[in-house]
Parts: sequence; structure tokens; C-alpha cells
Amino acid sequence: MAFVNLQNVTYQYPLTKTPALQNVNLQVNEGEFVAIVGPNGAGKSTLCYTLAGFAPHFFKGEMSGTVEVAGKESSKSTLDEWVLNVGLAFQNPFNQISGAKYTVFEEIAFGLENIGVPREEMKSRVEDAMALTGIRDLAERSPYSLSGGQQQRVALTSILVMRPKLLVLDEPTSQMDPIGTREVFGTIRKMAEEGMTVVLVEHKVEWIAEFADRVIALKDGSVLLEGKPNEVLTSELLAEHGFGLSRYTSTAREAKKRGIWKKKICL
Amino acid sequence: MHERLSFHIKRDSVIHKLNPLTKLTLILALILISFTSPWYWTPHVVLLLAVIPLSGLGRVFPEFFKAATRLILPAAGFLFLMQAFFQPIGEEVIFKFYFLDITQESLMFAFRNAMRVFVMISAFTLFLLTTHPSELMSDLTRRGLPGQFAYVIISTLQILPQMQAKAQTIIAAQRSRGLDTESTFLKRAGSVLPLVGPLVFGSLVEVEERAIAIEARGFTSKNSKTSLHEIPDPSFEKTIRWALLMLVILSIAANLWLS
Ligand SMILES: Nc1ncnc2c1ncn2[C@@H]1O[C@H](COP(=O)(O)OP(=O)(O)OP(=O)(O)O)[C@@H](O)[C@H]1O
Ligand SMILES: [Mg+2]
Repeated sequence: MAFVNLQNVTYQYPLTKTPALQNVNLQVNEGEFVAIVGPNGAGKSTLCYTLAGFAPHFFKGEMSGTVEVAGKESSKSTLDEWVLNVGLAFQNPFNQISGAKYTVFEEIAFGLENIGVPREEMKSRVEDAMALTGIRDLAERSPYSLSGGQQQRVALTSILVMRPKLLVLDEPTSQMDPIGTREVFGTIRKMAEEGMTVVLVEHKVEWIAEFADRVIALKDGSVLLEGKPNEVLTSELLAEHGFGLSRYTSTAREAKKRGIWKKKICL
Repeated sequence: MHERLSFHIKRDSVIHKLNPLTKLTLILALILISFTSPWYWTPHVVLLLAVIPLSGLGRVFPEFFKAATRLILPAAGFLFLMQAFFQPIGEEVIFKFYFLDITQESLMFAFRNAMRVFVMISAFTLFLLTTHPSELMSDLTRRGLPGQFAYVIISTLQILPQMQAKAQTIIAAQRSRGLDTESTFLKRAGSVLPLVGPLVFGSLVEVEERAIAIEARGFTSKNSKTSLHEIPDPSFEKTIRWALLMLVILSIAANLWLS
């Protein structure tokens, strides 16, 4: 039995005419690191919201099919229970700052305060999480004074500190430089190896090829293709459907077309 | 981006150390007494002998003074003029300005009301300057205030300075697009109009995302909350709060008795 199990999930936002997700079937094993790719409007963020319980609990709208995480069913659970198992961080870090806290340390502790973690345990968990994402030196800064990339690290840390079983990340490194991105992907990879299940949306496919176990390509709300990163990311099907390819893939493909490169394209 | 996006100033002072509820009770008591006490000079005395010394005791006098002169004084001054001119009380005209008469009574009335408003805003300023917003939130929710309610108050306090910064950015953008400050008000309003849509829509999306973000961090959890900082509430502070409450009741009673 898969740790994350979506069966025939169709979801439509309120006041819209077409579903944002259509008949999605998706299984993720415990400790697996799965990446989601797809063009704009494919439904990647919606899939994240569905996994994290916000669709339909927060957005309302129409949902059919079943969403199961860790043996529990989303429709039979409430959002405040669901978020204890599933952590969500998304792209815009600025909007993820609670606005109720003064320093980064307090900001990260916010979630633990909410779920009633005792003070001493709270402090050590915040310390550990900050060490994990490399933001110890930001502890006393105001979250608003940080750069976008630093804020993204704070947003990620604020979720990691909650120790979710399933970590859902919607473009969590969009404002980081390549060095920062590599570090953060390394951290996420490590979390997966320690048993955390990870679902991550990412546009920069080079990173996926290097770090993810499996890729799911989404298009118009449905799963178009899934499999090993280098297979999915180099597939002709993706190019035909207007997916963004890595610059390596497009160069290699061009080279093949002109007869410069004869072998298989790996990424 | 500004380092400090809340009014609170971190300093080591007796006022900073007070429990947030005690501070809140203190300023509310000062305000209520200023508004209800039957003695004419109460708000003036409260300002001179309580609010201003307290800002010194809280080691925030320079900041307090800045806010008082730049923000509170103009507001209270405006109120004073309006009421002095347009309050039709008293007989004896001591000053004439075109068709407007100023009487001794209207002047006194306006002076007291302006003073009351001055006390009200300055006491709140003092509170905001010396109170850590998240401590206030933790303390109030611990005492049973619904979390959502506390959150709205606190995040508004934090976000106000942020909006101020945003407004300044927009004005700067306006200027660089060649906003004509010489032209008529209508023309200027017209050039601001196209910005309103994105601003409002932008903030709606922001609000939604922020709601998702805090909810993802267990904000609506039914577990009883804990807090990172210990917020002391020694028993003498409880005594102070009761004493303040008694003073307010006395002031209201005196007001009712004499009227
Ligand atoms: N809150 C919402 N209300 C109504 N419709 C929405 C909402 N959010 C997304 N949609 C619609 O659902 C569809 C899928 O959007 P989604 O945001 O999931 O795409 P995405 O793959 O994340 O795109 P992007 O790469 O731009 O982030 C789109 O047609 C979008 O217009
Ligand atoms: Mg998206």
C-alpha cells in the first residue's frame, strides 16, 4: 500500500468551468522523492494543494476520487489534523511569513507554538531545523529584512520543523542562486533518505534529474507521463506537449538532429 | 527593505518588562479616565504626569516625541480648530473670524477634547513602542482570546508599517512615470486609478496565500498552544490591574454622580 495514494482524483475550483485536475492517479512510496513538472496552468500547484488538504478543505470546489496519505483519507479528515502529517511550502516566500513574529527564530517556532510543543523541545527543534537548512546565522534577523532566497529557506525551515511525514514543495527554490538551490536540494534529498516522503514541483529540470527518484509530467490537469527522471525528461512526448526542457536536452536534441551526436540522450 | 517593520522597539526597561495585559490595562485606564473624569484638567494632567513620564521610563522618549509631534499633534490640532470654530456653545464671543465666532466655552471644550484625543493616541503609541507583538498575541491567546482574533490584531500591527513602505514605493513609481504634481487633483487622482486594481487584487491573493501558509503551520489546531518566550505575570501586576480598574470605575461613577 503506497504512502500517498490518489485514486481518480478530479478537482474543480469554485466558479470555474473546467477541472484543474482530471482523473489523477498517483502513488508515492514512503521515503520517495517525486518531482512534478508541467507547463504553466498544468495543475501542479493544485496537485500540491490537494495533497496538503487545502483543496477542497480551504478552496472548497468540487472533488471526486480519493486522496490518501499515511492511511488516512483527506475527505474524512479536517484540515487542522491533516496538516500535522503533510507540510506545504510554496513559491512566494514573502506571503509565507506569518507577520506575527519578530525574528526568524520566532517565525520558525510559530508552527510549534500552534500545535502546543513544550518550550524546551520547541527550542531544540528550531535549532536543529535551522542547522539543517543552513540559516543559523539569520536567527535574530527580522524575516522581512531577508532576501527572497533567504526567505524561501525560512519558509522551508518553518515547515521542516513541524516534521511532516509528507513534504509538499511548490517551487521552493525559485529565488535562490544555483549554490543555494544545490544546498537546499541536498537537504531535501537527505530528508527523503531519512524517511520523509517528498513531492516537489520544479521548473529547473536539471535539479530533478540529479536529485529526484521519479518524475511525473502533468499537462492540462492529467498525468501525461511518469517514470525515471532521465527517461521522462528526455521523452519526445514532453517536447511535443510544450514542456520546458533542460538546456542540455535541447542542445543534445539539436545536435542529434544535425547528426553531430549519435548516441542516446541522457538528459 | 526596512529592518524594523513593527512599531515595537526592543529596549531594556521597566515598561518593556511589564506583562502585556498590565500595559494594555494601564493605557486603557489612562484613556478611560481622561474621557470620563469630571475634573476639567484630567487629560492634561494624565498626559503630563503619566504618559510622558512613562515614555521616559520605557526609554522610548525620542521615538515617542517624534510620533507625538509629527502625527498626534497635527491630528489633535485639527480637532481643536474644528471644535473651537464649529461648536455653538457659550454666549460671550472673544474672537471673531469672518462669520465664525469663538467663545470662551467653545475654546475650553475644544481644548479638552483635543487633549483627550492626544492622550488616547499617545498612550496607544507608547503601548506599541514598548510591546512585542508576538508576546501580546501569546499572552492574550493564553488568556482565552480566540487565536484568529489575536492574529488579526497582531498582523495588522505588523503589516501597517509594511503598507506604508509599499505606498511610498507606489508614490516613487508615480513620480518616475512623470506624475504631474502641479496639475489638478482630478488629474492626479486619474493617474493613481490604474494602480488601484492590481494593488487590491494583489493584496487579495496575498491574504489568501498568507492564510494558507499559517494554516499549514497549524494555526487552527485545536491543541492548546504553547509559547516560545515565557511571559511573566507576577502577582503584584494583578494587583496593579485591579487598582487601575477601580480607578476607572471611580472616574465613571464620579462622572455619573455629577451629571
Ligand atoms: N484559486 C484558484 N481559483 C480558481 N482557479 C484556479 C485557482 N488556482 C488555479 N486555478 C486554475 O487552475 C488551473 C491550474 O492552475 P495551477 O496553479 O495548479 O497551475 P500550475 O501548474 O501550478 O501553473 P504554474 O506553472 O503557473 O504555477 C489553471 O487553469 C488556473 O487558472
Ligand atoms: Mg503553480
